[in-house]
Amino acid sequence: MRSVIVGVIVACGVLAASPALVAHHAGTMFNEDETKELVGTVKEFQFTNPHSWIQVVVQATPGAQPQEWSVEWGSPNQLSRQGIRPSTFASGTKVTMRVHPMRDGSAAGIFIAAKLDDGKTIGRWE
Amino acid sequence: MKLLGIGCVGLLLAAAALGAQAQSHDALPDWSGVWQMQGGTVFDRATVKGEGGALAHGVREQPPYNAEWQAIYERNLKLRDADRLPDPINTCGTPAGFPRIMNLPDTYEFVVRPEQTWILTENGPNTMRIYTDGRQHPAPQDRWPTYTGDSVGHWEGDTLVFDTVSTRMSHYPESGDTVLDRTGLVLSDAAHVVTRLRRLNDETMEARMVIEDSKAFTAPWNVTKTYRKLPKGTRVYDYACAENNRNPVDAATGKTLLLGPDGKPLGK
Repeated sequence: MRSVIVGVIVACGVLAASPALVAHHAGTMFNEDETKELVGTVKEFQFTNPHSWIQVVVQATPGAQPQEWSVEWGSPNQLSRQGIRPSTFASGTKVTMRVHPMRDGSAAGIFIAAKLDDGKTIGRWE
Repeated sequence: MKLLGIGCVGLLLAAAALGAQAQSHDALPDWSGVWQMQGGTVFDRATVKGEGGALAHGVREQPPYNAEWQAIYERNLKLRDADRLPDPINTCGTPAGFPRIMNLPDTYEFVVRPEQTWILTENGPNTMRIYTDGRQHPAPQDRWPTYTGDSVGHWEGDTLVFDTVSTRMSHYPESGDTVLDRTGLVLSDAAHVVTRLRRLNDETMEARMVIEDSKAFTAPWNVTKTYRKLPKGTRVYDYACAENNRNPVDAATGKTLLLGPDGKPLGK
C-alpha cells in the first residue's frame, strides 16, 4: 500500500538531535535510524506540557481513508525559547513533516522538521 | 570559675562559627539570571562510553560501583534499551530529587539569601533548599528520607559548599533506589554528597559534587555539571507535567506508552 509516507529516508546521526527534546520519558519507542516524511494537514497543535503534539491528518491518495498522525515535540518552555508559538502550526495548515516514527509502526513519531506551503521550514530541514 | 571560663570560650567559638556562615546580603555573590545545564542529561559526561545521550542504546557511564550495584546498573541499561525502565520522573508527580535535580533540562535559577540558597528548576518544577544559617543536619533519629534530602552549607568566599544526606529511596520497583538519569544510574539510601557551587565566570555556573555511597561504591564519585547563562530577559514558565501527559507508564509492564488523540495507547 502506498501510504502518505512519500519517502523513507535513512536518517543520519545529526537528525537524531530531536529526541533530546524528549526529557520527560525515554525515546526508545522511536526509531532514530529511520525518517518518514508525512504530507498532510495540521488538525491541531497541542502546545502543552510535558510535550507538545502536532496532530496531522494525512491522505495517501485521493479518496483513501485519512489517517491521523501524532507527532511529539518539545515542551512549550523549550520551544518558545526557540521562537515557536501556538500559532506556528495553525489548524488547516498544509505541511510536509519529517519524523522518526514509532518502531511498532503506529501512526506516531517524534518531530524532526517541517516545511510549510510557503516554503518556510521549521526545525532541522536540510 | 574555671568551668565558667571554659563555657565562655565555648560560647565564643560557637558564635564565631555561626558568624562565619551567616553572610550579609552585600557579601553574597550575584547568581541572578536564568541558567541552563550544558550538555544532555547524561549524569557524568566525563565517564560516558558510547555515542549519543542518555536515551541512546549503548551509552553508559562508569561510576565506581561495587559488583552488586554494577549488576543493578547493567540490568537498568537493559531495561532502558527495551523501553521498560520505570523512571519515577515519568509519573509527573514526584520530585526529581537530589542529585538528579542538578541534571535536568530546561532552566535553572539560583536564589541566594543570607540564611538559605534555593535552586529552582523549571523542569518538574523542583525546589531545593540549602540552609546557610549555621544549622546542622537533624540527628539521624530526627530525619527521614526525602527526595531532595537535607542540605546544610556555608560560604567559602564566593563558593557555596553544602552537604546533603537523607535522600529518599524512590518508589523505583525492585531496587527501590534513586534514579539519576535515563541510563538507569542509581544510588542507595546511604548516599552522601558534598557539593561546591560557584559562578565560574559571567556566563557559567559550576557544581562540583563528590558522591560517597557506602553501599554502592568502592570509592567517591566526582561529578561536575555546568550551567550556561541564558539571554537577559529569558522567562521561566510552568512545567505542569500532568497537563497533557500522553506518555504514561504502564504499571503492569513498566513500558512507556504513547497515547493517541482518543486517549488510548497506540501500538502493540
